[in-house]
Amino acid sequence: MKRTVTAILLVLFVAGMVFASGEPEGEGSDSLRVMWWGSQNRHERTIETLELYEANNDGLEVTYEFAGWTDYWTKLTTMAAGRNLPDVIQQDYAYLTEWQSRGLIQPLDPFVDSGLFDFSDVADANLAGGRIDGQLYGVNLGVNSQCMVLDVARFEEAGVPLPDDDWTWSEFEEIVLKLHEETGVFGFGAGLLGEQLWKSLYLADGSWAFNDDGTALGYEDDSVFIEYIEMVLRLQEAGAIPHISREASDYANGDNLEMQPIIPGDAAMASMWSNQLTAMWTAAGGPEERDFVMVMLPRLEQGRPGHYIKPSMFFAISRDAQNPDEAARFIDFVTNDLGANQILLAERGVPIADAVRDDLTTRVGRPQEVVFEFMSRVGADSSPIPAPDPVGYTDLIQNVYFPVVRDGVRFGEYTPSEATEILRERAAEILGAAN
Amino acid sequence: MDRRLLENRRRAIAGYLFISPWLIGFLTLTLLPILGVVYLSFTKYDIFTAPQWIGLGNFVRMFTGDPRYWKSVGATFYFAIVSVPLKLFFALMVAMILNAPHRGLDFYRAVYYTPSILGTSVAVAVMWREIFGFDGLINALLANIGIRSEMAWLGDPRTAVWTLILLVIWQFGSPMLIFLAGLKQIPDELYESAHIDGARGVRKFFWITLPLLSPVIFFNLVMQIIFGLTVFTQPFIITQGGPLDTTNFYALYLYRRAFETFQMGYGAAMALVLLLVVAFFTGIVFKSSSLWVFYESKEGKA
Repeated sequence: MKRTVTAILLVLFVAGMVFASGEPEGEGSDSLRVMWWGSQNRHERTIETLELYEANNDGLEVTYEFAGWTDYWTKLTTMAAGRNLPDVIQQDYAYLTEWQSRGLIQPLDPFVDSGLFDFSDVADANLAGGRIDGQLYGVNLGVNSQCMVLDVARFEEAGVPLPDDDWTWSEFEEIVLKLHEETGVFGFGAGLLGEQLWKSLYLADGSWAFNDDGTALGYEDDSVFIEYIEMVLRLQEAGAIPHISREASDYANGDNLEMQPIIPGDAAMASMWSNQLTAMWTAAGGPEERDFVMVMLPRLEQGRPGHYIKPSMFFAISRDAQNPDEAARFIDFVTNDLGANQILLAERGVPIADAVRDDLTTRVGRPQEVVFEFMSRVGADSSPIPAPDPVGYTDLIQNVYFPVVRDGVRFGEYTPSEATEILRERAAEILGAAN
Repeated sequence: MDRRLLENRRRAIAGYLFISPWLIGFLTLTLLPILGVVYLSFTKYDIFTAPQWIGLGNFVRMFTGDPRYWKSVGATFYFAIVSVPLKLFFALMVAMILNAPHRGLDFYRAVYYTPSILGTSVAVAVMWREIFGFDGLINALLANIGIRSEMAWLGDPRTAVWTLILLVIWQFGSPMLIFLAGLKQIPDELYESAHIDGARGVRKFFWITLPLLSPVIFFNLVMQIIFGLTVFTQPFIITQGGPLDTTNFYALYLYRRAFETFQMGYGAAMALVLLLVVAFFTGIVFKSSSLWVFYESKEGKA
């Protein structure tokens, strides 16, 4: 009997060793873990900045992880479940509230009070997007907005003059058709029924996709969207935009910037977030080979601009941060340090600190110059920032908007009015249950 | 008497100790998570906050209020029913060819196994796009013989699932190796005596190879049905479930519900149903096996 007990203890001991070895080894005092999403261009710039920061701080060990948008959130939620979040995580306006309400990110005001953050050079409007109930949770890494990117060479080839910022969707349709007829490439690339454009459409109509409580859609009139969808269908029918089956197979449904057909010159226009232009331009061959301009999204007849100034993304300090002070110091470095920003080159959006922005205007290349200039135009003429997307938004987009509206209508499974009706019903159901 | 009992017990304990690494692994890494899934399936759980008990809510919603669910079930069965027999057929054919004495057999075995290793990598996703995309190889070949194809094979709801079926058939490596091992077990004397009796290729195959291989076929069938119903990586990396959910197979949809829209409870409920369905089909195959699986040793004893 005694031997049995000994044996069992031995087994438990061995098992304990096996499982214990799985735990992370870092001591936490002199290390900093950072994680972000983005494109190849952003990865390279961010890594270089981290290396600079590491070189400036003796004995600090910086580790990092990065991923594309979808994988990033999958990884991050898994880490959150395992209570193993990195110190500094990149956050999005859409998720900030959700993460804050779940206690996964720390309030940042204490770091401002303790002087680790220096926001003396930052306009308050640029920090506002990162506040929830008056407390700061995310430090804005740049401002951006939706935009339409135009390939200048294709417009010249087709003899189409570049549109002004106040062009309308019906002018857009004509231009897409003309571009396609004259050049043979797509007038517009992938993702014309993307969820961002749907939301912009209702912003331009003077409302917003969701109501103030986030419990249902925020507009009564589906006809605006139905007319828009019908335009998309006409363009698809004419072959002036890719067929949805080709968007699915070759262009990742317009979700992956690096697969947009405008990059190899197979389309004359694309819509994206303004801070994505740098990455897109680089992928397309750089300013030596290609020329792009940015204009605002088309409007409805007599509509308002479908634009708002959005904090492109945030750095936040996670609940699991081993060393919050070090994390705060790093975020301050990214916000205020000229050297760091000369590497980052406004790739995440137009920087929020005045000194940094002034310093960069003389240094940036053509792409960032286009973005800076575009953002100042949007700043002069835009709609106020709507509330962040409600809880349950991802569910609605993934399980209703994509299968029914984006794909279903364009594959002919639903008519536009059927699709908008389903969207309305399911939105009330899903958002109503979640909020 | 007492001593023998004690001796037996000691032996039993020793036995359990010997398998304890496996036992502990099974209990902590398989059984516990399964019990966790059973519990979570009755809850609303978003990963971050504590699970909330909602009884049968997830199941009710799954069976009555989620059109994507049934579409996913249909797609999965379609995929499994088509791909499993085809894959086994190819695996067996290639195994037969490789079982015959040729030069450089080891090389070929390795070559035919490679797709199974590559199969779940991103490289294959890229390659499949190069082959089946709009500007891909297939359309280029068709253009060469004068057919102008407007098909984006991966993006068309009629063909996308077939590109994945082709992919998993191409990954016939592991059932092939198992078939090969099975074929090697069949004694040559049986073929020789059949040959003397005048039997030729096809007859030998149906009267000797198939019956003696039936336990291996049975094993492969069970494994492949389980694989077919739980396939994840291929649709995840290549089609992401599209177009029109035609490749939104069960395990992929489950994963998306759990990790992309943070509905872990719903995902757990889906997983539980999947477990029961796979168990059910495996059970049917087991039950039916006495009708067609032939165990040589059993026959020998009788």
